[in-house]
Amino acid sequence: MRRFISHDELARDSRFIRQDNSLATVLSLLPDDVDQVVEAFERLDPMIAVSVRGTAAEPLYEEYGPAFGLVVLNEPLEPDAPGIETRLVMRMHGIFLGELQALEGAGRSLWDFPDAPWEFKMNMARQCWDEARHVQIYEKLLERLEGKIGMFPESTFLFECCCHDDPAMRVAGVNRGLEGLACDVFRDMIRYAEKTGDDVMKQAVDYVLADELTHVRFGSEWVRAFTAGDPERYERVQDFRRQVDKQFSFGGSRSDRGDAAIPIARDDRKEAGFTEDELDELAQLSAGGPSRETMRKAAQILRERHHARRRAASEGAPA
Amino acid sequence: MSGTPRLYPGIGPDERTSFQPYSAFDVPEDLRELHGRYDVEATARRVRNFRYTHEWIAMILGGWIATIPELPVKTGLGKIVWESAQAADALGKRLPELRAGRNAATASQPPNQGYADLIQEVARPESPTDTIEKIAGMFDVLMPHLVEVYEETIRATDAICDAPTIELLDGAVRHLRRHVAWGGDVLARLCDVGGDAARERRRARAAEVRARLEACGGVTGTLPGRDA
Repeated sequence: MRRFISHDELARDSRFIRQDNSLATVLSLLPDDVDQVVEAFERLDPMIAVSVRGTAAEPLYEEYGPAFGLVVLNEPLEPDAPGIETRLVMRMHGIFLGELQALEGAGRSLWDFPDAPWEFKMNMARQCWDEARHVQIYEKLLERLEGKIGMFPESTFLFECCCHDDPAMRVAGVNRGLEGLACDVFRDMIRYAEKTGDDVMKQAVDYVLADELTHVRFGSEWVRAFTAGDPERYERVQDFRRQVDKQFSFGGSRSDRGDAAIPIARDDRKEAGFTEDELDELAQLSAGGPSRETMRKAAQILRERHHARRRAASEGAPA
Repeated sequence: MSGTPRLYPGIGPDERTSFQPYSAFDVPEDLRELHGRYDVEATARRVRNFRYTHEWIAMILGGWIATIPELPVKTGLGKIVWESAQAADALGKRLPELRAGRNAATASQPPNQGYADLIQEVARPESPTDTIEKIAGMFDVLMPHLVEVYEETIRATDAICDAPTIELLDGAVRHLRRHVAWGGDVLARLCDVGGDAARERRRARAAEVRARLEACGGVTGTLPGRDA
């Protein structure tokens, strides 16, 4: 078996289809400018149209156009929000996929770095079991929402961003970047479950969150261990972590901003070993990008253009 | 104080306690004898071989998770990875107790190059189409072989002097039996779906790995029942 596989080599059964990862990268780089957001999504429209075909996202695409993801990502989960059932299932499906890729990432860390210290291997082995349970937990939670595995396309963006060939960068990406994002998302899910009185979801996600704190701690400790006595390497690892954190902020949707859909879970992250300085830095680097208002305006324009194209097509005239 | 039974012996012959003189093996009756096939050095060598195998099992299964399309197999392997790593860890902690050096807890060693090559052969399948080959090599051949060798070691090592090793292997066997049963269930299901062609793949892969295992003598370099 080779070491270091690419994200597009992650094995999946026939239920899954893939989404082009460039969407997530583009989203993380967008400025706070309606025209540029619109232009970016117009450019990606053909790719998005293909990736949603035959999935549960297709009706969303038909309704909102290529920016349906903005509606899902950018708006906070509130029990009485429009389309909340679909958005909740879509988020749950996304978390399920994130756990699956985290399981695969932890497993590959065992295989890809055979000369790593034994304690590192023990931590990664433990993480394999934890992530495997998380996959099972989110499959159950998805079923409770009447969702199905494979109903939305999968972006392998998380694995692609995190799984670096250097073990220090790997743990910085997977255990601090990805698992840190998981802390933010799961705290938000717990808040949502409290609002809706869903005790099953609240308890299950709370257990998962507890595991994630342990995984972030693994990351914090191994970044220090792998870079001990090598400040230059430490700085490279920190730069990589910043880059991953920027990508995982989805243009500010995950940030400390007042209009963030997913706030940074500061208390959970502190318990997991993030320092105040790191959290301030995360808040700063995730704060850039389009505001919710910009996203809303862009989504509205994209929706109108999408419907105009559909009308023109049905009337046989060029759009 | 004469006439009161003594609780502790004194210095004179008439200052004994009155407690019954049992042997260390009388209550309850213990028929074990001080006899074992392996001395301290041989046991340390075997433990290093066992640890080597469990470390590689954890690494191989971890690497396979991303390459296997069947979701229940991915999640099932997650737990086996952890239990294999725990077995390696526990075996490693036994090494300093066997005079293998205070820093020997992470020492792994194959018995010979043939066995090291066998482990790499078990790890070789990587395509998403190879789930049967992956599981058959590991769960039909390597793990049952470990069960056989560990049970033989438990029987043959000194039951009193080497009891800590026996305890470790006893726990490892319990887990390995569960893993083998899980792998058997996975293969049975894949073969039910894949029919005769799948069953033939399972048989061929197991035969291929078993032949290499027999050629190198397995995890200790000597197959059970055959003297070196």
